[in-house]
Amino acid sequence: MDGEAAIRTEALTKHYGSVRALEALSLDVQPGEIFGFLGPNGAGKSTMIRTLLGFLHPTAGSASVLGMDIVEQSVEIRRRVGYLPGGIALYDTLSGADALDYLNDLQGRAPTRREELCERLQMPAGDLRRRVRDYSRGMRQKIGVIQALQHDPDVAILDEPSEGLDPLMQQAFYSILDDLRAAGRTIFFSSHVLSEVERVCDRVAIIRAGHLMALQHVDELLARRKRTVTLRWRGAVPDLSSVDGLADVQVQGDRMQATLLGDVAPFVRAVASPALLDLTIEPARLEEAFLEYYAGDEPTVAGKEASS
Amino acid sequence: MNPRLLLQTIRWNRVRLVALVLAGFGWGILIPVIYSNFSDVIREMANSGAIPKQMMSFGSGNLFSVPGAITIGFQHPLAIAFLGIFAVGTTTGAIAGERERGTLEVLLARPVSRRTLYLTIALAVVILLSVELASLLGGLWAGILATDIGDQVDTSALWLVFVNGLMLWGAFAAFGLAASVSFDRHAPAISLALAYLLVNYFLEILGSLWTDVAWSQEYSLFHHFQPAELLTGKADPADFLILTAAILVPLAYALIVFPRRDLAAPD
Repeated sequence: MDGEAAIRTEALTKHYGSVRALEALSLDVQPGEIFGFLGPNGAGKSTMIRTLLGFLHPTAGSASVLGMDIVEQSVEIRRRVGYLPGGIALYDTLSGADALDYLNDLQGRAPTRREELCERLQMPAGDLRRRVRDYSRGMRQKIGVIQALQHDPDVAILDEPSEGLDPLMQQAFYSILDDLRAAGRTIFFSSHVLSEVERVCDRVAIIRAGHLMALQHVDELLARRKRTVTLRWRGAVPDLSSVDGLADVQVQGDRMQATLLGDVAPFVRAVASPALLDLTIEPARLEEAFLEYYAGDEPTVAGKEASS
Repeated sequence: MNPRLLLQTIRWNRVRLVALVLAGFGWGILIPVIYSNFSDVIREMANSGAIPKQMMSFGSGNLFSVPGAITIGFQHPLAIAFLGIFAVGTTTGAIAGERERGTLEVLLARPVSRRTLYLTIALAVVILLSVELASLLGGLWAGILATDIGDQVDTSALWLVFVNGLMLWGAFAAFGLAASVSFDRHAPAISLALAYLLVNYFLEILGSLWTDVAWSQEYSLFHHFQPAELLTGKADPADFLILTAAILVPLAYALIVFPRRDLAAPD
């Protein structure tokens, strides 16, 4: 791809009548990264994915996948992309194996990863011989994941991929994503399960009412979140008001609780003392960042922080 | 056209196809059998006034000649039901049905354009209708041989009946597919396609039973498929032209509308 973005949207806009599903959304997804696309139901996640795949036609703006225009070269894009729709529906009268064969034949590429995926997601041949209509929700989702990735696509677009998978299979799925990233594949990952986005994604975009609210590395996003710190001190708690980022300090006897924004190193240096009896720093969660962007009224500024 | 998609579309319909081929063949045999056994009795009843004269010509056929009986056989509600299963049921379910079930998502995520999908399904339906019509005509031919009435009909013109019949049912199939690409649910698509079929049928039958509104037959597609005329060397090229138009208009509509439609996420 020679440095070209795997997915690029420029002021991509989609309106349905008076409903503004996507509003001038611009972002780049780099080759070989796992990109999280966050937002609650109705935020525009599925609209974005469906526009990239040619199910929907953009009202304005443009987008490309693997350097190909989503309107003019949609068929070529789909040849190199794997797609897992949210709440996937499959052909109930076919067996799992027949459904995979059929979809792969239409894809026109060898199913080089199928065997490995079936093994890692625990879909043995016996289960694949059963009809899809007899599958549990989790098994359908596994078939959904396999059909999206079996042909080793350059870009995988996954809409709520871990939905219905049990915790063990979720871990197996995350491990598959890690391997795909290591192999240079690009994953566009839509979810509202923040813990899994935090676990697997390199960068995230947060979308609200069709507007891009944030686009950052997960680490950067977390580094800017407030953490709660609690410590116990032998004797009176020293004055820590000069420590960078420390706020909301509450002292009760030998115990202190406060919020800490940004780098933890200055704080740790300040409290490093034999008088320190106990110290707890709660990890920053993506959920807090997410909620911050969803607090308050409707967004007024599109693409806030998008360039950071 | 996508060969894999074509094969799978035919596979989805294979049980239906076997049942309809058997039913069509059986019905084809029955037409000459009924004619050779009952036409004299019915003629006597008509002459005696026991049956109103209008009832003797159902649709554009009659029971007093082999070609007329064959026309009735093709316009009989049973034949309409057999052929309508593919022309209406399969076509409307092919895209609107897949959309409703959510399987169109995984299908169109493959490198298959919507035009290719549409044309492949259209070809599959043409193949299914051809096999079904061929089985009906095969049964008819077998029935003619069995009842020894081959001297009353030019069986060499049966291919024209096949072509004209395929055009008639191709027109209904084209309309069914146009309805299918227009809706997100199967019910409105099949309702519209079925209504189109029934209105055409009603106009044809009404005009034949009530001479004051005989003009209504001209507005029915069924009136442009006349086995009796084809088998007696009186084929009207206008019938073929009208049916060609009835195929091309919905075909063009679907080819324009389907690729341009937004396919929002299924509910």
